[in-house]
Amino acid sequence: MSESYDYLFKFLVIGSAGAGKSCILHQFIESKFKDNSSHTIGVEFGSKIVKVGGKSVKLQIWDTAGQERFRSVTRSYYRGAAGALLVYDITSRDSFNALSNWLRDARSLAGPNIVILLVGNKKDLDAKREVTFLEASKFAQENELIFLESSAKTGENVEESFLKCSKTILSKIETGELDPERIGSGIQYGDLKHLQTNNTARRQPDCVCRPL
Amino acid sequence: MAVMGDFKQKFSGLLNKLGNQSRLSLSSPSEEVLKPISNEGFVSTPSKEDVKPPEEPAEILSDDEILESVEKEYFKELDFDPSRHELKKIGETLICDEILSHSERLHRQQKVVSKKVLSQILTNQRACNEEFERIQNLQSILRETLSICRDGRSKLNTGKQQLTTTSLGILANYRKRQLLRGILHSLNTIKTLQRSEEHIQVLLSESRYEDAISELLECQSAATSLKRFACVAALSGKLVDTLVMTEEQLDVALGKICEKFDETLYGQLQAAYALLGKTQAAMDQLHMHFTSAIQNTALKVIKSFVGKSESVVATSGKQYNELCKKVKEENFIPCLQELCSSLWRIVCSHHRVALWHQKHTVDKGTNKGADLEVSFTNEYIRQKLESMQARIWQDVQARFSTYLFSTDLASFKFDNFLQVLGFVHRLMEVGEEFCGSQSEELQKSVRLQSENYFAKYHAGCLEELRIFLENESWTHCPVKSDFTCLQLQEFRSLRGVIQNIGLHEQQKLQQSPDSSNQSQDSNSVAGGYFSRFSESGTPFDLANFDLQEEDILANISDEASGYFSDDSDEEVPEELKGDFVDEGHGDPSVHTSQVAVRFENCGRVRFEQKKVTRSKGRSSLPKGPLLTNTTLTVLRHCGKYLQMSRLLRTVAMDVIICLSQLFQYYLYAVHAFFTTDLAVSQPNLYSVKLQAALKRINAELIRPEKQPSAMVQINQDDKKKVPQPHISPIVNINDPESLFGLSERVVAVESLVFLADQLDSIRPYLEHLVRHEPRKHYIQQFYLQMVSVASDLRLPVYACISGRALDLRTMLNMMARVNWEIKEVSSQHSPYVDSVLRDMQIFSMRLEEAASHLFISKDVHNTLWEALVIVCCSTFVEGFSNAKKCATGGRALMQLDFTQFISKLEKLTTLRPIPHKEYVELYVKAYYIPEEQLEKWIREHTQYSSKHLQTLIQCACQNNKKTRQRLSGVIEEMERLGLIK
Repeated sequence: MSESYDYLFKFLVIGSAGAGKSCILHQFIESKFKDNSSHTIGVEFGSKIVKVGGKSVKLQIWDTAGQERFRSVTRSYYRGAAGALLVYDITSRDSFNALSNWLRDARSLAGPNIVILLVGNKKDLDAKREVTFLEASKFAQENELIFLESSAKTGENVEESFLKCSKTILSKIETGELDPERIGSGIQYGDLKHLQTNNTARRQPDCVCRPL
Repeated sequence: MAVMGDFKQKFSGLLNKLGNQSRLSLSSPSEEVLKPISNEGFVSTPSKEDVKPPEEPAEILSDDEILESVEKEYFKELDFDPSRHELKKIGETLICDEILSHSERLHRQQKVVSKKVLSQILTNQRACNEEFERIQNLQSILRETLSICRDGRSKLNTGKQQLTTTSLGILANYRKRQLLRGILHSLNTIKTLQRSEEHIQVLLSESRYEDAISELLECQSAATSLKRFACVAALSGKLVDTLVMTEEQLDVALGKICEKFDETLYGQLQAAYALLGKTQAAMDQLHMHFTSAIQNTALKVIKSFVGKSESVVATSGKQYNELCKKVKEENFIPCLQELCSSLWRIVCSHHRVALWHQKHTVDKGTNKGADLEVSFTNEYIRQKLESMQARIWQDVQARFSTYLFSTDLASFKFDNFLQVLGFVHRLMEVGEEFCGSQSEELQKSVRLQSENYFAKYHAGCLEELRIFLENESWTHCPVKSDFTCLQLQEFRSLRGVIQNIGLHEQQKLQQSPDSSNQSQDSNSVAGGYFSRFSESGTPFDLANFDLQEEDILANISDEASGYFSDDSDEEVPEELKGDFVDEGHGDPSVHTSQVAVRFENCGRVRFEQKKVTRSKGRSSLPKGPLLTNTTLTVLRHCGKYLQMSRLLRTVAMDVIICLSQLFQYYLYAVHAFFTTDLAVSQPNLYSVKLQAALKRINAELIRPEKQPSAMVQINQDDKKKVPQPHISPIVNINDPESLFGLSERVVAVESLVFLADQLDSIRPYLEHLVRHEPRKHYIQQFYLQMVSVASDLRLPVYACISGRALDLRTMLNMMARVNWEIKEVSSQHSPYVDSVLRDMQIFSMRLEEAASHLFISKDVHNTLWEALVIVCCSTFVEGFSNAKKCATGGRALMQLDFTQFISKLEKLTTLRPIPHKEYVELYVKAYYIPEEQLEKWIREHTQYSSKHLQTLIQCACQNNKKTRQRLSGVIEEMERLGLIK
């Protein structure tokens, strides 16, 4: 039943409410624009296998609620994420201004090694743009982020964002910068890599909550 | 005259002489008299000469005598020849004298006669004249009469001639005219006949078929009556052609009826066929048209979509089945919709045809019901329509199925699959309404596909649920206080139905128990599809799907937005929050009703809130139900599952089984995650039902953990099972500061309870979905064995906290150090009690602290304390049972300690009565039971372990070894039988 893949990456989609995080995920998974979407409650989940650099990677994507009141719920999902899509809305300066907070949260909760990709969503609404590409690029550069502008509506750059992020993680694994076997790396070996590393396949720590 | 006069005078003189003679001649007729006179005049003139001389001698004789002596012979004959007569008388010997005398006498005679004649003439002349005059008068009158006669006759003749001839002529002419008129009429008719051709065309083009046919038929009969004209033969031939052509047109029009029913047009057609006497044939024809319409339409729709997706034009030759396979996946649903809509139009047309007939049969029935012919035809039509209905639906199903199964539905996304199912469901409903068909064929094949699809989908869901559970931080996910699963988008289409059924069930309870469930069909839309979409639109338009949902929702306000809105917390008025603070301290029912009223003012009322709001909140925390992200995921899946089962009743049971598995897995996970650190294995923490439930889930749903090497071969049975879930590493349940994950545990268990509540709320709907009794049993079992045990999980989970919050080991150690062999009753309780109470105080404080950032309901609060007390009490018994030797003083101390404990405990908690107090008290007091009754007591109190009991009898029967051994045997036997631990 379970599909074969080389790696499993835990991904996050974060950003202010209404930036279009769920739509990006929906577009990525269903290749369809979710027209009448409502605010996410808590966390939603989606997974997809992508081919990156000759490897098949299963992305386990957690789409978090942007609303403040869900912060306590969503924070717990940050831990052990290998990659994150930090989404803002190019037609909303507020969502852009909040980026540094999101970034701080992500780096502190998910770990410093998390690969974060900055996504300026709603590219199709260029007429209502409040954040310029240049400005966002600058922010990305300063914070060492990869940057893309996308549109969940048209599907532009949606898959690319995930692929780019995955590619970066993959290359970091290859260079040894990231260690998949470290607990909380957000990376697991899939079935295809299982035979080589079956001793580490189960990431579940044994130290937690055993009977007295 | 003068001569005559003279003659007369002479003659009258003569006559006077012969007076006698003239008297004699008077008797003779006038003509005769005249004639001989004239004659005598001429003839006798010479003879007078002769006669007179004889008369002379006879003068001596009177006139009369002389007259008498005239021989008779003179008067005898008209043509008497007196001369000859006289001559004869003279004899042979002529004697002169005698001759003279005789002549003389004759003369005399003559004289007399003449005289007589004359006198006679004289006397009779006037009479004669008068007579003559009269004769002349008569003559003139006669002449007149004659002329009158002649005139009359001629006039009569004219009249006769004139009258007869003219009238005959008139008659003859009239007759002629009549004939000509007839001919003219005929000619006119022929002319009209010729023209009618055109007119019929006009009528046909205006779709006035009835008029056209009646005209045609008229023409035909007219033509027959005019057969004698040579030209009509050709014309009637033409008419026959026209009729044939018209019938063809009728046929075409009938064919169009299949696509779009037009009442007036159909009425026209029927009337036309009735005129033709082909009503029955028309029905057969109509059936044929419907059949072909279905085929053609289906083919057309598919073609249009194949054409869209494929640039290949050569699609015409391909069969329907093959074409269906060519429809691309992204076009599948639009094509399906189009197909449904098109087929709907045909079905709808048929439905309206049937309606039309129904209506018109009734009309006829009331008007002239006795007409056998009509009723026979009606019956024929009715039967025909019925059989047609079944056939048409068969055809529709076949077309639909062929298309549906030309694609592998397994690759579809769930939403799309649901959409497809929606169409199938709608189609089946239409079928049911159309001809009462259950569409078994379609249902069977869809069922198979759905089962396969759903099995796969469910496996995915369980896997996803596992991922969620393993990533779950067991943090409270804030939702509105009146949140129910019905507010989730996944339940949107079910909301109305579920609530209606809930109400229905309530009513059923109040009223009679046997009101039908059947009527509560999820889609019992008022009026049915045929009345709603008869004119325009189809039930397969996407808009109509939505519309229908809205219709169902009409009686409830749309609260979805409130739930999803950003500021739902802020919406709750401040005063309301204030209300919550008091909640639980006073009379709950009063407060709840107050809250309900307030909520009503806010525009949203939920019955479920009563449970939830019964809180002992002491902060302004949101009082929403405790639930986690994973709970929402489970509920979402439930919603999707239910959508599926709603759309396809036949898989409802499978879906419900799967739905129950989601809950079971959640239940299992909560138990597995949060009871691993249960300190005391206490049978009284687990209810029997909970134990059974966990055991069943473990056996049926959870894949046994295996060594990685054995992973290769997973047997078929295990494939369907789910791997053991593992708690997320970020959840820390070992920190004493946070009361060993108190909030996580509370959230976990309470979210499970909430989930169970939600399942309870949809239970009527589940039961409604499954009509088959034995299967309903499954639902009952599920609710009884699984859902109802959710709250039973509180105790074991919370007991873990209690077990760790209290330093039980120290307590036991301290208890072991107590000397129970004292004889006199102590007044001071043992120090371990204080130690335990101190622990409890800390627990209480930490609990308060936890409650400051987490809403802890009174139920939870009580359960937490209960668990704590249970653990404590067990430890008390355990500690007491560790005392191998015990004197009465010690027993009293035990009581003292426990009473002290209880009295202090009552200050710490609001929990009343203190649970399990008896458990300890009974154990302690059993020491005082007489030996003979002890066995009975032991047999009755199986809640104690064999160790407890053994120590008890050891203490109680300190001096009676025999009894001790006997009772020990009893305990061992009970242990063997599994009655005690």
